[in-house]
Amino acid sequence: MKKTILVADDSPTIRKFVAVALNIQGFAVVAAGDGMEAVEKLPQQKIDLVITDLNMPNLDGFELIKIIRETPEYKDIPIIILSSLSGSAEIERGMKCGANSYLVKPFDPKRIQYEVAKYLN
Amino acid sequence: MSSQVFSGTNLSNVFDKLNDLKNLFKFGERIVPIIQSLIEFMKEIVPLLENINSSISDSTTKMPQATNQINNVTKSTELATTEILDLVDKITNVLYQSEEKLNKLSSDSTKRKELLGKIKELSGANTEISALVDQIIPLDQDEDLATNLIEQINTMKEDTYQITLSLQVQDITAQQLAAVNHLINSVHTKLATLVSDIDQSQLKGDFNGMDIQVPEGVTFDPKASYTKDGEKQKAADQIYADSKQQASQADIDKLFS
Repeated sequence: MKKTILVADDSPTIRKFVAVALNIQGFAVVAAGDGMEAVEKLPQQKIDLVITDLNMPNLDGFELIKIIRETPEYKDIPIIILSSLSGSAEIERGMKCGANSYLVKPFDPKRIQYEVAKYLN
Repeated sequence: MSSQVFSGTNLSNVFDKLNDLKNLFKFGERIVPIIQSLIEFMKEIVPLLENINSSISDSTTKMPQATNQINNVTKSTELATTEILDLVDKITNVLYQSEEKLNKLSSDSTKRKELLGKIKELSGANTEISALVDQIIPLDQDEDLATNLIEQINTMKEDTYQITLSLQVQDITAQQLAAVNHLINSVHTKLATLVSDIDQSQLKGDFNGMDIQVPEGVTFDPKASYTKDGEKQKAADQIYADSKQQASQADIDKLFS
């Protein structure tokens, strides 16, 4: 059975980039346009990994990670941040929130495949 | 009584006042050209100020059009990028399928050669069969052909990765354009307030319905930049390295070798 990855990003092209990079590796990708939509999609199916942007409307990436880590049924889901924010303050905040990895945009498709494989294979 | 009016002291006062008046006229003679210059300056500056005011109001009314065009550019590049990505996705799928088929072809070729070797062994003293096998084996070039084609496929796969990486410039420029729109919106608001403060009712009227249409819920990183040198990623990895085991380039290469 295919493992499912939830991608939360307000950019439709980034959601597409991630889907193209991961579909070929045999993963199913579910897309959400912001943190709030991601929270709504979490209970709809089994999510094995979350990839999230930080700057998003309605609910940002930090808040999304916090919600996931505070919810018993989702707290162990690996989370990868994918953001153009590359300041040490944001990276450290992301790590403290509970993200497992931090990827900076523009991202290397091989690197995202590697990070996902690291947690799911 | 009259002798008191024209006393020496009073006359002296009158002369003092006349003297002051004379000085005033002399000062007036000197100040008049300056005032004339000032009037000339005002004559020149007033149209200039009116021109500036007109330019400000003109620029302010054009700002919503500029932001609309920027939004259209973002939407168009987003659509084009998605279309290219769909094609990249198709090509990548075909490449993976072709690689699988070529691997099968190569493996079948190896098996064929092994079987031919066994036939040659079993043929024993039959030199005719042995000679035939010796002629067939060099004809089977599938393994080499498959190896060459797989190498080319891997090069093309690498190229698609690079295309995917390069296309991300769309997301970065979309964020930069959103930042520009945000700035234009701020300037527009301030200029509109300024022009309204000048109290030109016609201009006020022009701004009605001229609100900038910024797409709802747009977020952006004003510092977003398109760099492929990997320095930002290295900095992020360094921060994570203290607490987590990081992926080395060798590990990544191993996974995709």
